[in-house]
Amino acid sequence: MADDKDVLRDVWFGRIPACFTLSPEETTEREAEPYYLLLPRVSYLTLVTDKVKKHFLRVMKAEDSTEMWFEYEGTPLKWHYPIGVLFDLHASNTALPWNVTVHFKNFPEHDLLHCSYILFCLHSSYAYSVRQDNTDKFDQFWAMNRKLMEYPTDEGGFRYIPFRMYQTMGERPFIQKLFRPVSPEGHTLTLGDLLKELFPAAICAEDEPKRFQVMIHGIEPLLETPIQWLSEHLSHPDNFLHISIIPAPSD
Amino acid sequence: MSDNAESPTETQKDDPSIQHAATEHTGASDEKKKIDVLLKAVGDAPIMKTKKWSVERGRTVQSLAQFISRFLKLEASEQLFIYVNQSFAPSPDQEVGVLFECFGSDGKLVLHYCKSQAWG
Repeated sequence: MADDKDVLRDVWFGRIPACFTLSPEETTEREAEPYYLLLPRVSYLTLVTDKVKKHFLRVMKAEDSTEMWFEYEGTPLKWHYPIGVLFDLHASNTALPWNVTVHFKNFPEHDLLHCSYILFCLHSSYAYSVRQDNTDKFDQFWAMNRKLMEYPTDEGGFRYIPFRMYQTMGERPFIQKLFRPVSPEGHTLTLGDLLKELFPAAICAEDEPKRFQVMIHGIEPLLETPIQWLSEHLSHPDNFLHISIIPAPSD
Repeated sequence: MSDNAESPTETQKDDPSIQHAATEHTGASDEKKKIDVLLKAVGDAPIMKTKKWSVERGRTVQSLAQFISRFLKLEASEQLFIYVNQSFAPSPDQEVGVLFECFGSDGKLVLHYCKSQAWG
């Protein structure tokens, strides 16, 4: 299980080039240069943006800065969503680098939770592991994670697949349900089967134009991919498959 | 099964989506929209006289935590931490209906609450 080490590596080391620009609403003592950073897909904004904060606080007065928060094209970015999910959900079909706006004023209380609570919710050792990004940590992580993934050989896979489907339209921010990787008759279930049950609008007939893109780590896996394989290889370090469903580009 | 206690009329009026589980469900549709939650105190957290509640699925963890804080008359400065299965703290914007479907057992969702961090 989880045999394809190249895939595991690509997922672990996946990065998104981002450009952080200070919002024009902020008051500065001198002009703020944009700050460029490669963001790990599997980490969280709150864990990797200390440098961004320091960079912009240098040109601001201490009293003008309260809590830092990020926004992309008017949408506040949630701290507790993995960076890769935020990008796939909001900006996957736009040119790189990902242009993120930095704010220090007017924290949007209704849209965002505060950082301190987020850090509490992320298990402390897990938060530590996604903060580091070198090969040693990759090997250490998988040495432990492999043990969590063991299942009896007579079962086709994990009892249930941990996953979340995110979408920007729709009344709920994400779908999270119990789903088995093997049908009661013993058939291996696929990504297509998962979508058929929980987001059938994403499946369309061959002659129909595609209405939605189903993305995991920035790629659209084939619908025939077994969900057990996806769970073993494309999960985030929290062992969840974070799936972004976005409207297909119109061109 | 639920504890017999005076209903906290003040807080209940503010929160029609959280009801004492002893009240009758008005119909099948009500049953689907609400889930049963069992609240258990941990550490020095005060024990709620009424532990079993019927909560609308769409209610968030944060609003349930606020409800418990008001019910227990905690100080504004006192924090409340909520745990599922005595192992993890759900994100405050998580819906209780989702937690129930993934982590519920015996037809209810058991949540532990405390004033300091307990697990994870």
